[in-house]
Amino acid sequence: MEDFLSDDDYYDSGRDSLDGLENEDSGPQWVPSKGPTCKVITKESLLAAQREDLRRVMELLSLREHHARTLLIHHRWDVEKLFAVLVEKGKACLFKEAGVSIVEHRDLDAPPPPTVMCDICIEDVPSGETTKMECGHCFCNSCWTEHFIVKINDGQSKRIKCMAHKCNAICDESVVRNLVSKTNPDLAEKFDRFLLESYIEDNKRVKWCPSTPHCGNAIRIEDDQFCEVECSCGSQFCFSCSSEAHSPCSCLMWELWVKKCRDESETVNWITVHTKSCPKCHKPVEKNGGCNLVSCICGQAFCWLCGGATGRDHTWSSIAGHSCGRYKADREKKAERAKRDLYRYMHYHNRYKAHTDSFKLESKLKGTIQEKVSILEEKESKLRDFSWVNNGLNRLFRSRRVLSYSYPFAFYMFGDELFKDEMTNEEREIKQNLFEDQQQQLEANVEKLSKFLEAPFNQYDVDKVMETRMQVINLSGITDTLCQKMYECIENDLLGPLQLGIHNIAPYRSKGIERASELSVCWGDKVNNSGKPLPPHCGSTADPLLMLGGTTESDQPSGSGSSDETGYAPRKRAKTNVPGGGRFDLNLPADVVDRN
Amino acid sequence: MIDFARVQKELQECSKDVEGSGIRVAPKSDATLARLVGTIPGPIGTPYEGGTFQIDITLPDGYPFEPPKMQFSTKVWHPNISSQSGAICLDILKDQWSPALTLKTALLSVQALLSAPQPDDPQDAVVAQQYIKQHQTFVSTAQYWTETFAKASSRGIEEKVQKLVEMGFPEAQARSSLESVGGDENLALEKLCSG
Ligand SMILES: [Zn+2]
Ligand SMILES: [Zn+2]
Ligand SMILES: [Zn+2]
Ligand SMILES: [Zn+2]
Ligand SMILES: [Zn+2]
Ligand SMILES: [Zn+2]
Ligand SMILES: [Zn+2]
Repeated sequence: MEDFLSDDDYYDSGRDSLDGLENEDSGPQWVPSKGPTCKVITKESLLAAQREDLRRVMELLSLREHHARTLLIHHRWDVEKLFAVLVEKGKACLFKEAGVSIVEHRDLDAPPPPTVMCDICIEDVPSGETTKMECGHCFCNSCWTEHFIVKINDGQSKRIKCMAHKCNAICDESVVRNLVSKTNPDLAEKFDRFLLESYIEDNKRVKWCPSTPHCGNAIRIEDDQFCEVECSCGSQFCFSCSSEAHSPCSCLMWELWVKKCRDESETVNWITVHTKSCPKCHKPVEKNGGCNLVSCICGQAFCWLCGGATGRDHTWSSIAGHSCGRYKADREKKAERAKRDLYRYMHYHNRYKAHTDSFKLESKLKGTIQEKVSILEEKESKLRDFSWVNNGLNRLFRSRRVLSYSYPFAFYMFGDELFKDEMTNEEREIKQNLFEDQQQQLEANVEKLSKFLEAPFNQYDVDKVMETRMQVINLSGITDTLCQKMYECIENDLLGPLQLGIHNIAPYRSKGIERASELSVCWGDKVNNSGKPLPPHCGSTADPLLMLGGTTESDQPSGSGSSDETGYAPRKRAKTNVPGGGRFDLNLPADVVDRN
Repeated sequence: MIDFARVQKELQECSKDVEGSGIRVAPKSDATLARLVGTIPGPIGTPYEGGTFQIDITLPDGYPFEPPKMQFSTKVWHPNISSQSGAICLDILKDQWSPALTLKTALLSVQALLSAPQPDDPQDAVVAQQYIKQHQTFVSTAQYWTETFAKASSRGIEEKVQKLVEMGFPEAQARSSLESVGGDENLALEKLCSG
């Protein structure tokens, strides 16, 4: 299986839900890590996460924080893109587009007149009660305040523009905060929260965890947004659509499938295909025989094809005194088609449902199997390592999910709804055979694996336990390979050649869905003067799996599915770690830091 | 709360320049400044030329920090104005509103919209289609609507209202009594005098 294990199959998260999956039989293959790719952002680390990006922009462009924030919000917190625009279009353009104005106002030196006419309330106001924004527009404080309140209440905190007509400048957030808090401290707080949450809501690399009730976390990914992640609260989801993890189904396919299963359109279809309402009493009547004359319990006979009332006198091909004209063939075709579609859907849905139902029983199965393991462990025996049981079980769960979601995938891949015009019938048939062959192989092996794991191996003698062990290890390897191949087939042979590039699928991860690790933020040391992006996880504690890397798998305790707490970075790092003064304290609100 | 002091100033400012701009704004009734009526002349060289168009104005609580709501009460055939309801599709009445704009500048923008329709961002899809595909038909329909709904009687009434105002009656009252007697100046005067 070496040939398809690429670096991507490994990631060095100590909280991997499938820890210790590979055992000595398949050979441990510790590949150099490329760093964790997704992070949990908690309520506590949100500010720090945001300030990390703010600081990069502030340092590179020598900006004040609110300007950096305005730029970042405009570019949806995509620092790389912001830098690219800077290189491509220059500073002036970058600033103008985002509404950042850094202009020196000469007239600041001149003594201000005693009163200023505010163009909004059309009153003469003492100069001291007015505020000039950086764009140079000056209005009275009470007008500014009123403007800010309306905008914050309107959900526009992130981009409050100057009041002057056609002035694109974004108001200085500290001015907003100061003026609003004088009359409306609650709203000022709301404003700060909006600014903070913009880091999540306007950021294409960050998404709220979709758990309900909400765990309060968000997940940040490094590069590929087509991935599946697990939040520290345990909820697993598709990063790109925020619904349950559904690969190898694409997001669009999944959305359609969920809708299809929810709508009872199919049942409605069934009724229209199989019944017709009686022209006399309007009860639905099922067609009972081969001929097209049906009769209702009320005694009325009617023509199945057009629904019109008729007499009872009929032959196979005609009903006495009745002819239903030109729609006959068409109607028949339509009915046939609806019936075919329905059966097709039922075929895929039944299989999808069977596997979904199985993995809903996972935790129960896990419990009973763990009982068997503890019975075996208590026995005086030369068998000590039972990690294969858990590994096999995790493999079973993983593969069942793949299988389950492969049915809605196939439903759309080979149906008419999405790709009708993209494949000829022959092409489609070839592809379908290829896919179904793989699907069947996977299904057969998954069932076998399941059978071995559910067997009462705790009652077996040593030789038979050893044999079960071999089978489970083998089948685990095979199903892993088959899952991998199925994803490859989908990517390369099925979706790859198609025109529509909208069906992206999260890559297969042999070890299961990646669990996001706690965000660790770079601390004050090594100030990044070069302007280069900071390395992805400097300052984090040593990665637990890197530490494990040198040891062999069999040293791990068996039967402890995941090692949740080991090597887990503390939630907040002590402030005392920061040497010297003048550093950012990332636990303090932005304005407090600015004041220091 | 609506900044009524500012509204009052806006009305004064606007009335100083009626000769120049042709734009009028007046309260609908004496009861409140929150409901107003704006009047704009149809721009010259357009199918609206010669017409006088009335616009209902409602000020939201947040005025001038929130945009005024404006709607034609005179029927008008224009891609960005609903031929049914008179609703106007204009950016400065929505997200491009700025508190530095006034009712007068907003009405000027509405007038500019009459001269420069934007069929790509239509309020009335039927009119917009006609504007693009059968422009000549559009022009004659717009002219016909101007003729029928924005001229003669209504212009006559404007003049009569003005006369009564000059005689010292409040504009809104003058207008409503004229309306109630079908436009007869003498009857309206009698009515105003009697109570
Ligand atoms: Zn003011
Ligand atoms: Zn400005
Ligand atoms: Zn969560
Ligand atoms: Zn998705
Ligand atoms: Zn019946
Ligand atoms: Zn029969
Ligand atoms: Zn028939």
